[in-house]
Amino acid sequence: MGVAVRWLLVLAGLAIAAAGAYVSLAQAGSGTQPWDPELSDNFVFMRVLPFVLALGVVVGLFRAGGWKPTLRRGDEIRRFSPGTVIGHWIATIGFVLALPTGVWQYLGGILDVHLEFPLYLIYRLHYIGAALILFSVANFLAYWWVNGDRSLWVPRGQWRPHLVGFALELPRSLGARLAARLGLDLTQRPRPGQFTFYETAFSFPTWTFALVLITITGILKAMRYIYPIPGPVLLWASTLHVAAMVLLTLKVLDHLRYTLARWPLMVAMAKGWVSESALRRVLERTAPSIPRRVEPAVPASAPAGVAGGSER
Amino acid sequence: MKRLVAILELLWAIANLVIAYFFLTNAFVAKTAIKEGPPAQAALLLGGALIAVFAVVLARQSLQVLRGPLAAEG
Repeated sequence: MGVAVRWLLVLAGLAIAAAGAYVSLAQAGSGTQPWDPELSDNFVFMRVLPFVLALGVVVGLFRAGGWKPTLRRGDEIRRFSPGTVIGHWIATIGFVLALPTGVWQYLGGILDVHLEFPLYLIYRLHYIGAALILFSVANFLAYWWVNGDRSLWVPRGQWRPHLVGFALELPRSLGARLAARLGLDLTQRPRPGQFTFYETAFSFPTWTFALVLITITGILKAMRYIYPIPGPVLLWASTLHVAAMVLLTLKVLDHLRYTLARWPLMVAMAKGWVSESALRRVLERTAPSIPRRVEPAVPASAPAGVAGGSER
Repeated sequence: MKRLVAILELLWAIANLVIAYFFLTNAFVAKTAIKEGPPAQAALLLGGALIAVFAVVLARQSLQVLRGPLAAEG
């Protein structure tokens, strides 16, 4: 697909999304609707949602069309494309908006405590954050679907070595306990690929689970005023939405801890580019509790992609 | 830059500790028991404890970076 066609697709997606949002907001602000601000926002969110998801898919397709397997600049390799970096920041803003407001709604409901300003403003921020997260989910799904990059997925039949690598990355006592429970042999250290085993065997699967859970339950909750959702389904959706919120709160804390301790990973997500030698040191440091093998974690002759140069 | 990120992450960890405090304390108040029931209390207790543990780990990591000799790296 040519660059011009891809840009045209994105511009068309943006125009359609903007038109959809304008019509929805104009209807809500016309003064003729009988709903209170909270319910009105709910309707706006539900009407805008298909446009947000579609825009995410279009942007993902646009990015996938320009995907390059490897880029190198001296010692530096491009680990993430600019689109991935921007997409990650959009998701981050979404989490910063949606998580605290979600926690406030939950605790406020339980404690029966209200702030000085109206509750619908909290919901509004929550909807904006949720829309940004849903845009990101659609964006990355379409991107990975089309470019065929599965480097964050554990390949079929490879779970055992990935779990071994993951157990070796954990603190020694925790890793040993996990290995004993799963019957893993920790004497054989597998070589990490483009991502650490912590990322492939634990972090990405749990991110996926939590995001799928919060998306499905959130949409079910939000659509209850436009479609009759059975009471028990709604009750379970609400309960699991809170569970997913707590899970995502934990995921964010763990993600921040993990990347702060491995600074080149943080630099890579901020700039896209990372020093290959620094990245190599991070990968080699992943299993300090067993004797180092003679063979380096990333062979010097390996292409940049082996050390994470294959951009995402 | 690394120091700035560590400070921001420390603030995030503290905010999460406050949330964990509310989760944990409200697991034991009568209002929650009457209004939500034991499952919600257990969920608050478990969620609060987990958030507290993860927040403490992040706070320790951030402090380690702030105290470390390479804090200015990056």
